[in-house]
Amino acid sequence: MLSASAIDPAFREVADWQIFDANVRLGHSGVYGELALETDVLLEEMDRFGVRQALVSHFACEEYDAQEGNNVLASEVNERLVPVWAALPEPAFIQELSARRPLAVRISYGVLKHNFSWAPWCAGELYEYLQAHSILTVIAREDLAWDSLAQLLETFPRLKVLLLETGYRADRYLFPLFKQHPDLYIDTSTYVAHRQLETFVDRFGPDHLLFGSRLPLYDAGAALAVLATARISDGAKLLIAGGTLRRLLGMGAQ
Amino acid sequence: MRSPFPIFDCHGHIGVHPDFPAYKQTPEEMLEVMDLLNMAVLAVTSSRACSTDCPRGNAEVNEVLRKNPQRFRGYITVNPRPQGEGIRELERWSHFHRPPLIKFHPDLHKYPINGDAYRPLWDFANQTHAVILVHTWDSDPNCGPLMFAPLGRCYPQARIILGHSGVTWRGYEQALETAQAAPNTYLDITGSQSHRGILERMVARVGADRVLFGSDMPYLEAAASLGRILAAKIVDDDKERILRSNFRNLIEEGE
Repeated sequence: MLSASAIDPAFREVADWQIFDANVRLGHSGVYGELALETDVLLEEMDRFGVRQALVSHFACEEYDAQEGNNVLASEVNERLVPVWAALPEPAFIQELSARRPLAVRISYGVLKHNFSWAPWCAGELYEYLQAHSILTVIAREDLAWDSLAQLLETFPRLKVLLLETGYRADRYLFPLFKQHPDLYIDTSTYVAHRQLETFVDRFGPDHLLFGSRLPLYDAGAALAVLATARISDGAKLLIAGGTLRRLLGMGAQ
Repeated sequence: MRSPFPIFDCHGHIGVHPDFPAYKQTPEEMLEVMDLLNMAVLAVTSSRACSTDCPRGNAEVNEVLRKNPQRFRGYITVNPRPQGEGIRELERWSHFHRPPLIKFHPDLHKYPINGDAYRPLWDFANQTHAVILVHTWDSDPNCGPLMFAPLGRCYPQARIILGHSGVTWRGYEQALETAQAAPNTYLDITGSQSHRGILERMVARVGADRVLFGSDMPYLEAAASLGRILAAKIVDDDKERILRSNFRNLIEEGE
């Protein structure tokens, strides 16, 4: 349970927001060194910002092995840390993944990550499974070219895709995609241009934005301050802070 | 959420950007955000000057200062090329501020900060005790942070703000190395990459007195920089220095 006294005084106004962070990674990292956090310290950092729950993936999945990383992740998750399982396109892997009854998976196509094609000839069976079970499909923007993302969304129109870390310079790609694809979502960790969040909400409503901190690499105070000071309604802030993500995962507020 | 101290922001702009849409970027719309966050002063440079046209861009800043001299301060943006234009611009707009606030953008102007054509501009800055905001980026051949330690020693009267402090985690390390080597260099926190713990590292290694608040408004959301400061594990006095006193004192020295 999150204690109100644990919240940094500067962020007390968000204490009742039931924040559900859509972009957190866990565990030891060979790439990010001292920035990476083990579970207990990560939870303390979430407490400072009033983050009640988080979607978490494990660095071991990206940097070492999907199966091994999922096993480590399974041993670390609790009621506050909701696992984002690594997904590979092989049928045997999909079968093992299915046994975990996933709410969310992360696909890492990159050559130096899991190294497979996004295209249906390679990963079609995986998308069919994810789409059929309404599993949130998390993809980092750097792992998928814009044209490939557009084709993926056209080919699998019921796939719920959460695109992470779009950066703040992406609206000329994002806005056309949002006009066509109702099941596309982005996290706010890098969506930090001047008055960008309110502009997005004016055009598309709050339902496609999910609060993301990019912990432990980024300071959660940055993205949280952007949301807290956005010139949008309180209801819209609560949806972005966690309401929409809970709906997508079929979870109620804690 | 609001700053407990009136903010003096060392890094803002006037204008738009080629590779992404700018929203609500007029000075009046920027003032709405400044009021919301308790930002007293924003020092701006012209984006037109940083890209294509210094004389027209600096004229835009002049107009902003004429309309709202209390809330904005103006950098004179200069390009080392064509040679001679930079000194003319510095003289033409000398009424912007004393000591001069000067902006160099070696990345967009595609010319190395230690190149020969910059020399008269550095001499001018040194002689006038100018405050120079320079765009820096991790290992950039034109403006990597490590290029500034020799320049700081060569022009000791100039006060050099390392804009963005190199941006990336590695860029920040380079900026810190330079700040430790050259006492007339300052670290600007402006940037889209909000690395956890970097502020604490800056304060520990060079002291809070040489860390400056910057927002990059109207490109970036100023609240992101404010949130980083408010969340930092540093004492309140250091937060006050970074948000207000450091830049205020820097630009008021020699007034």
